[in-house]
Amino acid sequence: MIEVAGLRVVLPPAVRAVDGVDLTVGAGEFVVILGRSGSGKTTFLRAINRLVEPTAGSVRVAGRAVTGAGPAELRAARRQIGMVFQQFNLVRRASVLDNVLAGRLGYVPTLPSLLGRFPARDHDLALACLAQVGLAHLAGRRADTLSGGEQQRVAIARALAQAPSVILADEPTASLDPALTADIMGILKAINAERGLTLVVSQHQLETALAYATRIVGFRAGRVAFDGPPSAVTLAVAEAIYGAPA
Amino acid sequence: MRRATLFVAVVVLLWLAWDTGADPVRLARGVPWILDFLRRMLPPDPSVLPAALAGALKTVEIALLGTTVAAVFALPLGFLSARNVAPTPVFYPARAVLNFFRSVDTLVYALVFVAAVGLGPFPGVLAVIAYTTTSLAKLYSEAIEGIDPGPVDAVTATGATRLQILRYGVLPQVLPLFLSYVLYRLESNIRAATVLGFVGAGGIGFYLQTYLRMIDYPAASTVLLVTVAMVMVVDTISSRLRERLV
Repeated sequence: MIEVAGLRVVLPPAVRAVDGVDLTVGAGEFVVILGRSGSGKTTFLRAINRLVEPTAGSVRVAGRAVTGAGPAELRAARRQIGMVFQQFNLVRRASVLDNVLAGRLGYVPTLPSLLGRFPARDHDLALACLAQVGLAHLAGRRADTLSGGEQQRVAIARALAQAPSVILADEPTASLDPALTADIMGILKAINAERGLTLVVSQHQLETALAYATRIVGFRAGRVAFDGPPSAVTLAVAEAIYGAPA
Repeated sequence: MRRATLFVAVVVLLWLAWDTGADPVRLARGVPWILDFLRRMLPPDPSVLPAALAGALKTVEIALLGTTVAAVFALPLGFLSARNVAPTPVFYPARAVLNFFRSVDTLVYALVFVAAVGLGPFPGVLAVIAYTTTSLAKLYSEAIEGIDPGPVDAVTATGATRLQILRYGVLPQVLPLFLSYVLYRLESNIRAATVLGFVGAGGIGFYLQTYLRMIDYPAASTVLLVTVAMVMVVDTISSRLRERLV
């Protein structure tokens, strides 16, 4: 589903954030990228949909080339890659429903969408996605009146509205307390199980990663330091990832 | 070092005072003339009130029409001169154009447009548009440069086009600011438009200048009082509206 080969990302001035990563993720996997902050997890995820431009290497998602794609091809590729962010990244002044509808932008005709019009079936889909995260009753509220946990659920609904084949989630629970962490990870797990969606989620917390992942990929200094099932994560492996006794 | 700076500053100020003929004694000698002027303005002549009110209305019309048109014209210019949105080859010329046209005041534009299209409120409207478009564009662009990049990332990740990203990621964040700037410009344009009549560009300034020339000070004072009332009313309404936007 995701094929990454020889990926390198050098951020200005000369930081090798991702330093030669090869990774293939199969359909339906729940991969947790584990690593300390600064290990390159965020940059790696952002390079998959080219929010960050890779310096070298190739990325393919659901059979489409992301690297080397022209503007229209890139948009078509991004459409099938939902993304969830640490800071939720909702448009705070817009309604919950409008935020979820934004997930349809890759599908709808440009001109009506610029006037704020979406086809009726997109409204229905957006509401269904909100229902999936349990927030259909808040559709008309302004996004910034919601709690952090609710905002992240809206962000997940927005990603679902893209009808994606893959969801990337960059530290989706780092701004939330432990109870909400379980909440959000549970929703992501349900999406993975029920819809068979492929998930790649970055985490810095070991226990959370082990509880939900079907596969753990450990990042250290921009490279893959471990790749295997949660059961194979030993103390030695944790040390290899975190660089100190965990 | 500090003393030297202070010494230089004092010398410069003294030279400025000498070169502009600033002289406290001359001012003191002029006080009786100011008092005489004020005494001759009283009581205001109520018979010119209808003319003064008509002039005030015209001034409000000039400022309102000019500011509204400028608010729309400034939109594309504002986006093109925002560093984080415009491509670099567009950004620098756009900024240069803004700074060039902003360096000339509304009154100077009025002189040009009176020469071009003749006397009356129309050249006043054109003058307001010419100055306000560029000054609002500058304010818009600064608002755009100050946005949270998070929602822009999120909308980009959905596969949205460039225009859709501006509409859904940028515009909702800056729109309340834009409206607030427009109202603020409207307040200053009311004040600027009061003197447009001095150069034949319509409005209440025409009456003020005419009565002063005719040495009809009671009539001039009626016009002045109406001007003050008009500015205060518009300022009050406008600042109430601005408070609601935050």
